[in-house]
Amino acid sequence: MSTIVVGYVPNALGEATVSQAVEEARRREAELVVINTTRADRLVNPAYADDEDVSKLDALLRATGVPFSVRHSISEATAAEEVVDTAEELGAELIVIGLRHRTPVGKLIMGSTAQTILLSARCNVLAVKLP
Amino acid sequence: MSTSVQNTGSGTAAPGKPVGELVFALIIVSIGVLGFVAGAGIQTPPSASDIGPRAFPFAVSALLLVVGAGLVFQVLRGHRGAADEGEDVDLDAKTDWLTVGKLAGFVLLHAFLIVPLGWPLAAALLFFGAAWSLGARPWWRNLITAVVLALVLQFVFAGLLGVSLPPGFLERFGVFGG
Amino acid sequence: MDNFFLLMEGFATAMQPIYLLFALGGVLVGTAVGVLPGIGPAMTVALLMPITYSLEPTAAIIVFAGIYYGGMYGGSTTSILLNTPGESSSIVTALEGNKMAKAGRGAAALATAAVGSFVAGTIATVLLSFVAPYVAAFAVQIGPVEYVALMVVAFLTVGALLGSSVLRGLASLGLGLFIALVGFDALTAQQRYTFGSPFLADGIDVVLVAVALFAVGEALYVASRLRHGPIKIIPVTGGWTSWLRKEDLRRSWKPWLRGTLIGFPVGTIPAGGADVATFLSYASERKLAKGEHKQQFGKGAIEGVAGPEAANNAAAAGVLVPLLTLGIPTTATAAMMLVAFQRYQIPVGPQLFESNSTLVWALIASLYVGNLMLLVLNLPLVGIWVKILQIPRPYLYAGILVFAVLGAFSVNFTPIDVIILLIVGILGFFMRRYGYPIAPMVVGLILGPIFESQLRRSLAISQGDPVALVQSPVAATIYVVLVVIFALSLLLKRRQRQFEAMVAANGDAADVVRGTAAVPGADAAVVTPADPHNREDTDR
Repeated sequence: MSTIVVGYVPNALGEATVSQAVEEARRREAELVVINTTRADRLVNPAYADDEDVSKLDALLRATGVPFSVRHSISEATAAEEVVDTAEELGAELIVIGLRHRTPVGKLIMGSTAQTILLSARCNVLAVKLP
Repeated sequence: MSTSVQNTGSGTAAPGKPVGELVFALIIVSIGVLGFVAGAGIQTPPSASDIGPRAFPFAVSALLLVVGAGLVFQVLRGHRGAADEGEDVDLDAKTDWLTVGKLAGFVLLHAFLIVPLGWPLAAALLFFGAAWSLGARPWWRNLITAVVLALVLQFVFAGLLGVSLPPGFLERFGVFGG
Repeated sequence: MDNFFLLMEGFATAMQPIYLLFALGGVLVGTAVGVLPGIGPAMTVALLMPITYSLEPTAAIIVFAGIYYGGMYGGSTTSILLNTPGESSSIVTALEGNKMAKAGRGAAALATAAVGSFVAGTIATVLLSFVAPYVAAFAVQIGPVEYVALMVVAFLTVGALLGSSVLRGLASLGLGLFIALVGFDALTAQQRYTFGSPFLADGIDVVLVAVALFAVGEALYVASRLRHGPIKIIPVTGGWTSWLRKEDLRRSWKPWLRGTLIGFPVGTIPAGGADVATFLSYASERKLAKGEHKQQFGKGAIEGVAGPEAANNAAAAGVLVPLLTLGIPTTATAAMMLVAFQRYQIPVGPQLFESNSTLVWALIASLYVGNLMLLVLNLPLVGIWVKILQIPRPYLYAGILVFAVLGAFSVNFTPIDVIILLIVGILGFFMRRYGYPIAPMVVGLILGPIFESQLRRSLAISQGDPVALVQSPVAATIYVVLVVIFALSLLLKRRQRQFEAMVAANGDAADVVRGTAAVPGADAAVVTPADPHNREDTDR
């Protein structure tokens, strides 16, 4: 069975990403590996899911019937590295990520996790946008 | 934020043996001793109408000596100081001497680089090094932040406020002061 | 009505557009650092000391006053939304405020804290405007003997009462006094403790030591035990209308006033600062609450936020009474403001109010203005403060270090000062590590030289008879008051400790008091336990 790696953040974009990934998983008959990670280097990180978010995600995925696992961790690696490394480790055939709208200046200052994933992934990447 | 969050006695003491704490208390005692020894060398003008320049140093030295001795006694009896708490401080964590050393090293390096390189470059290097020591990633974002911050500070403090920081290679541009 | 006239004149100064701009900058920076972990108002004022080299006194003092008040507001925001009190004086706010935020009443908690701070800040500033001139009028009459007595009070209360251990506080005070001795003796021009070094002959600059202790020491200490793991922030929901409902207002206004009345006097006496005031207010609100409201204590009672927040801000204004009238700082931030006065060669002491009345009244007027600005700005800007919390720690502490070396270098423009900064910073690191409070050292450093010269002057008058130091009726009264303050403070401290132990025993609130952040898996904001099924927790 092939694998699809999903980068998840606890917001509307994250949910859209997961539901797109579920569709892909059904089409490809693949297993989903949902990743949410933080470097824990700041006091507040809204991109990091808390236990409540994770159990919600759990329930959501279970309802779809697609085989899945959730990797929720604190890691030294950046979120982009974590997603790409996991995809490589599992030999994933697809990575699904959410894509925010960013101004060029915002991109320069903050960098972009999505961009790093797009450039360094070995497999295909599906970038989901908010409808 | 917290320089001011004081442990009220319920918290965890510094982990490890109290050797460091004992040494610190002994250093306080020895500063007291040093105060007496060096204080004896202070010249007192014979015409002085008051208690002279020696009395207060002796009083302070005596305070340090007595309090330091009391602290040595306390530590030996097992009374430990409660380490400072703070939002970013994990009291259960082991002391990361390597990071402390790296930070101190970068500050020292900065002191030697201000004059030859100019303040902005030396400051950018300090920021980059300190953030790297503390685990900032990725490196290029760290670098951009360091350079931008150093330039902004040079511009605001030297250019706008007139604090004479050596601009180094920026000398040619008037807005960075000099 | 002479004072009223002077206050109006102060307003005329403070309302000039350029000073309004400085006040705005001050309160914004102040709130930001109040919100930020790792930076307090004392450190901020120390780090921003280089601006005193180019700004004129009024502007700089207005900026620092803004930072002082802004820091109080910022602290409450963090403690409500994060459950990690930014300052010790916000611990009590976190107790009830965070519970309110979890119950979806975060906006109301923030609003009652902000409005309460405004009400208390304004009333306390009015009290300050009325009380200060009288204290100042008394202060100009006192001689060196009485002044020595006052400074003994300041040394002993700050040294012995601020920290958790009396001996450690006194050791810290002694270290500050010792460093202050290095250099030329002001009266006889003899070198003391310079060890023949020309760099030490001019003494070690107060700013250098303060920046080293507050900024470098803190950065090194945090680096040594860096926390890993983020804290979940509780989103503030609802529009403007849900911020302060009629019911909330009805329950809040009395605690605001009571908090003010508790906070201001506690702030004026050097008895442990604002955290004693907040604790007293919380305890009394808890006692006074009835029926259903009493049940809510520990679960998010609005009175438990309104009272302590008001007390906190009122105490902050109270601290300015001894600072402005007697030149006696009782907190670390007040000590740094005193340094700012000294930078401008403004004589600190009982004459301050008299000789620099324009400046002092402009400062007081700017407190009114700053308070209003904070009320207007704070609530709409909560989103920005929350963003500030997302700055990665490495950048935050690297930035603190850069500001610190900037401040140190600009004292004399010699790199040797940066090396002294590092050495004193390492001292500060070990002091934090072994539980020595920092504030007494800074107070000793600042008041030490003044104390010595006044002491020697008193003894010269009495021809070396030390009995004269306690013979004056005023001085004797001050010493008696000292004893009373001590007894009172020790009693209060014990009550506070018992109270904290009780709260800690309540179990779930323990993390609030100890300021412990969430560990992953035991997150502060978890409402329902997580389903462990199908989940790989890979904490590496």
